[in-house]
Amino acid sequence: MSNDITLEEVRRMAADAGLTQYTEEHLQQLLRATKIAQSRRVALPTDDLTPADEPSHVYRLDR
Amino acid sequence: MTDLAFLTVVEAAELLRGRKLSPVEYAQALISRIEKHDPKLNAFLRFTPDIALEDARCAEIEIMRGNWRGPLHGVPYGLKDIIDYAGLPTTAHSKILKDNVAGADAPVTQKIKAAGGVFMGKLSTHEFAIGGPCFDLPWAPARNPWNRDHFCGGSSSGSGVATAAGFLPVAIGTDTGGSVRNPATMCGVVGMKGTYGLVSRRGVLPLAFSLDHVGPLTRSVRDNALMLDLLAGHDALDPASAIARTGGYTIELARGVKGLRIGVLRHFYTRDVEADPEMSAAIEAAVTVLAGLGAEVREVETAPLSEYAACNRTIMTSEAFAIHERWMRERPQDYGSLTRERIMTGAFVRAADYVNATRVRAKLAQRFHALFADVDVIVTASAMDPACRIDDPKAIEYTYGRQARAPFNVTGSPAMSVPAGYSKAGLPLGIQLVGAPFTEALVYRVAHAYEQATRWMDRHPQLE
Repeated sequence: MSNDITLEEVRRMAADAGLTQYTEEHLQQLLRATKIAQSRRVALPTDDLTPADEPSHVYRLDR
Repeated sequence: MTDLAFLTVVEAAELLRGRKLSPVEYAQALISRIEKHDPKLNAFLRFTPDIALEDARCAEIEIMRGNWRGPLHGVPYGLKDIIDYAGLPTTAHSKILKDNVAGADAPVTQKIKAAGGVFMGKLSTHEFAIGGPCFDLPWAPARNPWNRDHFCGGSSSGSGVATAAGFLPVAIGTDTGGSVRNPATMCGVVGMKGTYGLVSRRGVLPLAFSLDHVGPLTRSVRDNALMLDLLAGHDALDPASAIARTGGYTIELARGVKGLRIGVLRHFYTRDVEADPEMSAAIEAAVTVLAGLGAEVREVETAPLSEYAACNRTIMTSEAFAIHERWMRERPQDYGSLTRERIMTGAFVRAADYVNATRVRAKLAQRFHALFADVDVIVTASAMDPACRIDDPKAIEYTYGRQARAPFNVTGSPAMSVPAGYSKAGLPLGIQLVGAPFTEALVYRVAHAYEQATRWMDRHPQLE
């Protein structure tokens, strides 16, 4: 997914994902939302993750 | 009347236990106040005076017979409308769930009922605890009691408003990216989310499973600690529930802060984001107060706010979209516009990005928790700005991300917002106190010392 995603790409992705009832307004929202999600991906500090760094799907804290 | 409206839980409990105040009289006074003022504030999405009066009558009979259950017996409370109360709809402030009647109480509801609380109703939220304030929903958004033209924070918006306005001494909210602490800051009350897993999330409509917390909003720190005493505890049916010793949060409140090591997480509100000058000044003044009370103050640093925010939002929106996918496919028009767009940000997050966000989370939490080798409690900002106007979408969007609460949903740390004064415009300011996992008692101790030194809690909004 490129960082300069277009409305047409979002329209295609939405159709592939079954989001077929979206109006043009909804698709414009989806485009903005997808760009925000992409900017968050860029901001995630993943460079110093090593292969051994585990995910925390069910996050627990111990005393 | 005014006196009853602004009684703390502790004050009310003393009067109720001593039979100097009838639970029915107390409930009726608050019902009258809500009927008079809530049409302008919209704190309640579903006001239930009949249930309240029935609960109050039961409490009165029991107390008169000498069966006082504890400090919440006969005390009114409300629930954010994503928390189940058996027999009533849990709407999440959304058209989509307007007929979603709860079949059972959430454990937090069960606990408050068992303690003899008087149920006043379901409180406004941002739709599905994420989209707000919205004007295109079946119910109007809650408004700030200090100035109804201003935003009251969210998503536990009604909980903050009802507590600040003297409608209730306690309300329950939820917090996934700051949603207990934000309305607490904006409305000038105390809001705590304990350590992740401390309070059961079962029977609470999820926004993001791995970030959701349930917590109380009150007008005093002691009341808040009392409420967390009641709410905390392991729930074998909540997969994230912590197995930890809980309670005792009021025991050390009066010990003061002399000798405690307070870390100031200043770069969040100076370097990472530049807070409004009045908010910054309030935080710095609070640090000075704590130092004056004998705390040892030192500056601490962690990862930039932007890293925590990216992590929190990537996880939150991915999990939220997974929950909402079917409705987003079949009923997109039934969401408020703001909610729909915020949930949509999770639609096309790559699986690798979600997994990496959870890996980053583990690292951020480890790095943050290491700070507690050198400090006991950390002070930082909650909001970066006083409440903006509720009818200014650009200001709402601008201030939405200008906050330092989401980091502690990422780390799962206990974190609370405490009132720290007022802006020149008369709007509340606040600080945030954060502790190591399961050190709620210590966080409350610092908050109480600060509260007692400043007494911001004595000021209330004028609703006339």
